[in-house]
Amino acid sequence: MGQTDEMRSQKDDVPIRDEDVDREFKYEVADHFGGEGLLRCLKCGACSGGCPVAAVTDYRPRKVLGNVLLGLKDLVLSSDDIWMCAACFTCEERCVQEVNFTDVITILRNMAVREGHASKGYLDMARTVLQHGRVVPMTHAVNRMRDKLGLPELQEPDMEELSQIMSSAGFDKILSIYAGRDTTE
Amino acid sequence: MRMAIAWGCLVPSRRSLIGYEAATRKVLEHLGVEIVDIPNETCCAPFWMQSLDVTTSLALAARNLAKAEQMGLDLLTPCSGCFHSYKRVNHTMEKYPGMKQRIQEILRSARLRYEGTVDARHLVDFLFTDIGMDEIKSKMVRDLEGIDLGLRYGCHMLKPHELLNIEYSERPIFADQILETLGATSKQYTGRHRCCGGLLRGTDDDLADEVLRDRLLDANAAGVDSLVTVCSLCHIQHDMGQRIIKNKFDIEDLAIPVLHYPQVLALAFGFSPKEIGLQQHTASTSTLVAKLRGEVKEGGGA
Ligand code: SF4
Ligand code: SF4
Repeated sequence: MGQTDEMRSQKDDVPIRDEDVDREFKYEVADHFGGEGLLRCLKCGACSGGCPVAAVTDYRPRKVLGNVLLGLKDLVLSSDDIWMCAACFTCEERCVQEVNFTDVITILRNMAVREGHASKGYLDMARTVLQHGRVVPMTHAVNRMRDKLGLPELQEPDMEELSQIMSSAGFDKILSIYAGRDTTE
Repeated sequence: MRMAIAWGCLVPSRRSLIGYEAATRKVLEHLGVEIVDIPNETCCAPFWMQSLDVTTSLALAARNLAKAEQMGLDLLTPCSGCFHSYKRVNHTMEKYPGMKQRIQEILRSARLRYEGTVDARHLVDFLFTDIGMDEIKSKMVRDLEGIDLGLRYGCHMLKPHELLNIEYSERPIFADQILETLGATSKQYTGRHRCCGGLLRGTDDDLADEVLRDRLLDANAAGVDSLVTVCSLCHIQHDMGQRIIKNKFDIEDLAIPVLHYPQVLALAFGFSPKEIGLQQHTASTSTLVAKLRGEVKEGGGA
């Protein structure tokens, strides 16, 4: 299918200037678990070739990798690009260098979240889980439909265990970065 | 055979997905598999939660595994997203001792314990590997001959194969083989292995639509009687998303039923479309049901 007319990914800012470069960035990413493969990247582009998002936009995993390896930390972490990956793992499966790009994306997103750049949609889903224990709250209508199909009544999620786990893992602190920001319920 | 089962958030609570649960329960009972629901199951915290914080995601997923471990059972799930989450926990705990410690420490704060001994299994792989095609064939009541299916393996049941360890994802055949055993034709067509964009729903809906449009056009061009999915997110995309795509991109002839994988088995095992919730899907299944009524031969055996 054709490209969309709209420019969806970040504009190229060339030339790259020294002051935009953080030479430690790639080591910082590679230090996280799952990021070990990053430094092996050959920039061959096989990842971009099989990417279903690259097929319909100008998002390219290789370009994200290039920017990470160059050290463009601020640009990468604040860009929409890192939220465009559909996590299909095709790039990870095909990469001869075992870079594990989808895991690299996870690390980049986790870093971006701590800098205030979380995807609003995902944040809302997390808030729903924290409140209801599941990403879709139960409704009476659904319970009636379940009943009609002969399904057992759905058990309530264990909210005590869930909120304890989320707070021990530090998720409260992450949410507090976004406290007061406009989100829809 | 006895298995713990985790249904996930979406399967038991969406109109078009509760048929997935109904069909899974019926099929497993028909095959003599006893299932025990994970008590007070909580969200498996899949990839979108991992995107926010990987530690929170793993610890949350480990909660349901801990319950299965307590019961001494392996964990079955019909949702590829859940499957991926649970496999990720075990893999991480095995490979990164530091993370294992951290996950266990978090669980301890909630008075839970997980040692990593529970095997997480995807329903479709379980049907193929543990039940087997001979057994499935022997339990058939009717043959699905003449039905052309477009099977969507999706991403999170198979990729990356190093983590999930079912079958190499580029050319999988096991799930096709079961459908063919039931007498149906599993159509091979361009694009059937490509991602549907499900995880982009909620974070970038326009992008999710663009990726999905191509998958639906691929299936339409292949002329299948129904698509078949093995993942709750894939079903939401192809079934509920179909209406969005039809209107947004003005595609007049788009009307493809989308079955959940065990619904196909349930039909071959003699359950009625109504018992397994086919009437609740967003994309009408009536053309398929009519074809089944007209063409399905009684008597079993392929
Ligand atoms: S991640 Fe792998 S496939 Fe992509 S450019 Fe680097 S080496 Fe090539
Ligand atoms: S995992 Fe993300 S970057 Fe990789 S191929 Fe899939 S959508 Fe593209």
